[in-house]
This record gives sequence, C-alpha cells and structure tokens, in this order.
Amino acid sequence: MMQSNGGKTASPRPRQNHLDLARRILDVARERGLGPGAHLPEQYLATQCNVSRTPVRAALKLLTEQGLVEHEADQGYRLAKGVSLTGAFAEPLPDPKEAELAARIIRDRAARRLDETVTVGEVMRRYDSDRRTVLKAFGTLAEDGLVSRAPGQSWVFANLPDSLESQSDSLDFRLILEPAALTTPGFSLDHDRAAALRRAMVALLAEPDDRLDGNRFRQLDLEFHMLIARGASNRFVSDALAAHHRLRGLPGAAVRSNVVRLRQAMLEHLHILDHLESDQVAVAADLLRVHLRLSRNQRPRAANRGVPPLAIRAKPREG
Amino acid sequence: MSIGPTIALFPEASFGAALNCVGIARALKARGARPVFICHAGFSGVFAEYGFQEYHLPLADAPVPETYWQDFISRHQPHFNLDPADQIETYVAPTWDAIVETAEQAEAPLFALLQRLRPDAVVLDNVVMFPAIVRAGCPWVRVISCAETELPDPNVPPYLSGLPADDRLHWQTFVERYNSAVGPVHHRYNKFRSRHGLPPLDQGQFLEPSPWHNLLLAPSVLRYDRQHQLDPARFTFLEGCVRQEAPYQVPEFAAGEGPLIYVSFGSLGALDTELIKRLIVVFAEFPARFLVNVGAFRDAYRAVPDNVILDQWFPQPSVVAEADLFIHHGGNNSFCEALYYGVPSLIMPYCWDGHDNARRAVETGTGRRLHRAHWTADELTAAMQSALEDREMCGRLKDNESRMVPENGVDLAAERIVEAARQGAVKSAPLIRLPGAD
Repeated sequence: MMQSNGGKTASPRPRQNHLDLARRILDVARERGLGPGAHLPEQYLATQCNVSRTPVRAALKLLTEQGLVEHEADQGYRLAKGVSLTGAFAEPLPDPKEAELAARIIRDRAARRLDETVTVGEVMRRYDSDRRTVLKAFGTLAEDGLVSRAPGQSWVFANLPDSLESQSDSLDFRLILEPAALTTPGFSLDHDRAAALRRAMVALLAEPDDRLDGNRFRQLDLEFHMLIARGASNRFVSDALAAHHRLRGLPGAAVRSNVVRLRQAMLEHLHILDHLESDQVAVAADLLRVHLRLSRNQRPRAANRGVPPLAIRAKPREG
Repeated sequence: MSIGPTIALFPEASFGAALNCVGIARALKARGARPVFICHAGFSGVFAEYGFQEYHLPLADAPVPETYWQDFISRHQPHFNLDPADQIETYVAPTWDAIVETAEQAEAPLFALLQRLRPDAVVLDNVVMFPAIVRAGCPWVRVISCAETELPDPNVPPYLSGLPADDRLHWQTFVERYNSAVGPVHHRYNKFRSRHGLPPLDQGQFLEPSPWHNLLLAPSVLRYDRQHQLDPARFTFLEGCVRQEAPYQVPEFAAGEGPLIYVSFGSLGALDTELIKRLIVVFAEFPARFLVNVGAFRDAYRAVPDNVILDQWFPQPSVVAEADLFIHHGGNNSFCEALYYGVPSLIMPYCWDGHDNARRAVETGTGRRLHRAHWTADELTAAMQSALEDREMCGRLKDNESRMVPENGVDLAAERIVEAARQGAVKSAPLIRLPGAD
C-alpha cells in the first residue's frame, strides 16, 4: 500500500530524506548558476527534483536552518546573501552507499532478482552490505512507499505498475484523476515548463524512426504528465498523481510501445498543450482522456493459429 | 485530393503474420494507399497501436475464458516435445480442425464486412482460404509467411515435416500419414468451399495460390531448388519483410558481460514458463547477457540471474539488430529477422513450420537446431557456444545480410499489392493452377 502523501497536512518526513533532497536543490541552483538572493520557487524545484511540493518545503526549511536559504512569508524562499554553493552543505549528507543500495534493491526487484518479500539477512548477503546500511536503504524505500516492514526481519515490496495487469490498473487510476486535475477549478499551468517541454517534444518528433530514443520519450512522457499533476489545485490530487508518476518512472515500469505509438502519443501531448496554453481546459481534459485510452495496451497476451487469442485480463469499463 | 486504393489486410491471429503485415501496411501507406486491417475476434489492438484502422470480425460466442488457454497448453505441452511426424495426429490435425471451424464461423461476417468496405484488394496472410475473399470480387494477394514448404513441389520436403531436403525416403511416409490424419477435416473443408462456390483443393491443401499475386517470405539463402519454377508474374520471393522499430538501447545488466543473446519463443512459447526457467538456469552459468521475452508472465519467475533481463515485450527487429545470437522457435518472421540482421539462430521448434525452419537453418548453415525439451545443460551450452564461435557461419550470414537489406522486402510487397489492385480495376481474375500441386 502506498504511503499516504497527504499534501500540506502530512507529518514531516524523516530527516535523511530531506537531507538528500536539500542536496539536490542545491545541485539545481548550482546547475542554473543561481546566485545569492535568487528566488527558489517551490513548484519549479518540485518539478526539477521530480517530487511533490511537500518534501521540497521540508528540504527548504532544512536549508533555512543551515543558513543557506532565507524565507520571507510573502516572498517565499531565496538563496541566502553571501552563500557559496561550493561545499556549502555542512550537515552530514546521506551515505551514498545507502542511496545506491536502495536503487539497486528496487532495480533488482523490478527485474525479479528479488522476491516480493525479502529478509534483511538475504539482502546483506546478496549485496555484501552491513546491517545498518541495509536498514537505512530499506528506510529510504519505505519513505517513498516502495516497501513496508513485515513480521520478523522481512520487508515487502509495494505493487508497482510493472506487469500487464498492474499497468492496466495504473491507466484506470490515471483516467480517474488526470482529467479531474485539469477540470477542477484553479488548475494552473507552469507556462515556462510547458514551453520547455514543447521544445523538447518537437525535437524528439523531428528524429527519424531509426533514431527515435525510447528512453527520451519515456522521460518526456513523465514530465508532461507531472506538469499536469503539479498544476492541479487540489493538493491531494496533485500529490497522488505525482507519487504515481514517480512509480511509473521506476525500473521495470515502462510500458513498451512501438515507434508509431510513441510518435502518436507525443503528438497527443502537444495537442493537449495547445489547448492548455489557450485556457481551453475542458477540451484539454477530453483530449487527455482520449490520449490515455489510446495508450492502453490492448495487444492479446497470447495468440496462435487455431486458438482464440488470449486477451489481457480487463475489468469491466464504462461505455 | 486523390485517394489511393484501399487495401484490406487480413492476417491470421498470430503475431508473426500480424507484424509481417504491419511492415507491408506501412510501405503501402508510404505509397499513398489506405491500408486497413481485418482481424479475428480477440486479436485486436495490435494494428491500432501502429496507427491502422481495425475492423473486427464479431465473436462467434461468448468471450474465450482464460481456462481455454490453460486447457490448450495442458493438452498440447507434451505434444510439442514429439517429433514432427508424431505431432500430426496429436497437434496438427486438431489444429486444422480449429482453423477450419474458424473459417466457417468467419465466412458470413467477413463477407458482410468486405461488402461494406469494398476494398480495392485484399491481402491474405493465412494458412486457410476464406471463400468470402473470392466472393468479394476484388483482387486478392496471398502472403506465404510460413516457410517455403507451405507451397508444395516435388523437390521441397513436405510441409511441417522438418525432414531434410535429401531424405526423400521418408517424405512419402510423412505425406501419407499426414493426409490420412488430416483427411476428415480436409473433406469437411472442401464441402465448405463447395457450399460457397469454390472448387475443392487437392489432398492436404487448405489454401490455393492467388490468381493475382503471391508473396513468399523466403530469402534466397533458404530457398529450395524447385522442380517447377514459380512464374515471376504471379509469384514474388521476398528477401524478408522486416518492419522498422525505434532503436533498442541495450539495458545495463546487474552483472555479466560478453555477447548479447536474445531469446523469444513467441507468445505461445512464453506460456511455457517451466522450459524458460530451465533455460535460465543454464544462462546463469554462461558468459553472455540474455534478454528473454517472457510475455505476460514475468511474475512466474524469481531469483533471476544478474546476466538475464526479462521483459514482457521487445521491439524485436531492433533487438535482433543488436544481438549476437537469437534463440527462437523457428517462426518464419523471427527466422527472417535473424537473417536480415546477419544474426545466427539457435532454433528450438515447438510445432508447425518451426520444424521446417530449424531443419533448413542447419542445411543452409544459417543456424543451429536443438530439441526444445530434450537437452542437457552441456548440450545447450555447447549449442550456444558453437553458434557464437562459428566464424564461417557468421561470414555467410553477414554476406546474406548485405543481400537482404537493399532488397527492401516490405516495399517490394507493397508494390506488388498495389499492382494487383490496379489490375483489378481493369480485368477479372486470371486463372492459374499451381505447377506441381496436382
């Protein structure tokens, strides 16, 4: 079960996770060449770090405590005056070994190298790691709702959208929430981000079939749908969608499509953006429904001459 | 604005034929034609995902329950381990029964659909004839996307026999046994044809060559020396029919290095998870990286070795292009893709023309053959090793690749189909009879 990501009412997350995010925020500021006094918009940082605004706020609070960031109630967060971004973060950072181990654990679960339930001892042996590092790695994964503690020294992996059936459920979930994110009054499009995405999607479409990069498509697809999630006015809708898109970005969760469908999906994104940028949100929501329906994998699971094709198990759907 | 000819492609409900037709349809579209697909009930979504309009033949009865497939697999799993001759009664004849039943059920809705669509030509990639196609009155083009053995000739081993080209002693025995087992369903099929105004076919035949045009998916490196040469005005051999997919980026493996081996037995083979598990145990000890197509059954696997990656779908042509060895079931589409990219095949056939292709791979020095189930770890290891290290075979395959790629089979197929559609606009069906089919 996914950990509740209860928006502005959620209780603070453990410190280590916030330290990691704080470091990423400083990396973003460094990459963008931001100087002392530069504004740090929460929404922008959330998009860049692929997280919701809640942990961004917690990480910014941490940076404020460190004196690296200043906060003013009516103007938000800014880089502190006189701050140097090179080696500025004095707080002990998360051990890279733990983060790397967490990434390897989730990658190996997606590849079915690890069972749905694993013991700490098993993981220690597989990765030649000590108990403390393994427990910290599981702690990190638990914060993201990817594992939960089971009786004894065991951990259980959450459901990921990495099978035909769970991907079908994922699409149903998105069909319920994504159009609603647009049509609920107060949707706010990040126009700068939308313009950058448009440029990137047009550039991808300009590639010939034999150079069309499936991984790049996947990245832009996630960014596009994250843009919609981030723009939702309802914080719970926004957080639920963002958390789900983060699951979709995990190893093993990619929905494989052929080159024609990749192109078509990108065109559908652009068409939706056209309407969002023209404030035709209701039309954009309709187009989004169509886009999601067309993105559903309907290929039969198995086929052979002389046997009726085996369809994907599907739940009854409306009209 | 002028509208190009409407071409209705009707592949059988199997991925090989379907994806072969997708490649042709894309080439047809590039030529200004309007390709649309007719699919069997349940075989939907494949063509729409490639951007083509699909017309579905209605379900005969209620949707097929999953237990149908479980029963099918339970029933036939042991049969797939038999020699081709022993599969005649156990698998081939019952399959023809099911195919004929499908044709009978499809006749009325197919006829109605073709009347509504009024295509300029129909492309049939199947193993059985549907009278509705002839009754539609437009040209029809047959695609023979099984092995070349599907089109008989005194110099070609019997279809589905897996027999060597120089072992004529056993050909007749196989044919007699085949005709005897398939006789009742063949008789039923001829009666069905007769009811719809089509002449009966010779023993063992369920689909005649088209009087308009016929396309054979048989690259020259595999072809037989036919006693009766096929008329080039009516028959075109294609050097493969490989569709273009997005490039495949080989993922990072948790461990392991060395050659890349792609393993796919088609959607039917993916159901045999026990066999794939046996293979994976051997793969774990072999110094290579393995990509294994497990279809919808990834959750059936655990403790997957670090040098093995499982996935539910691969853009196969692009993956084969990156591979050093392709282990497959001998499906003609898979075999042609391996040849097109100059990749050796290790064929472990289950049934049907997989046996013919496995035999032909060995005869032509384009691959190795291994029984699908009767092997030891050492034998599988040796087969993979020898296929990877055979420099002579690799050279032959690279030479062949340089012949196949420029031929552009999909484009040639599209050209012939459009020609047939044009002929249809000016004349009625020519009458021909297949030489050597008497």
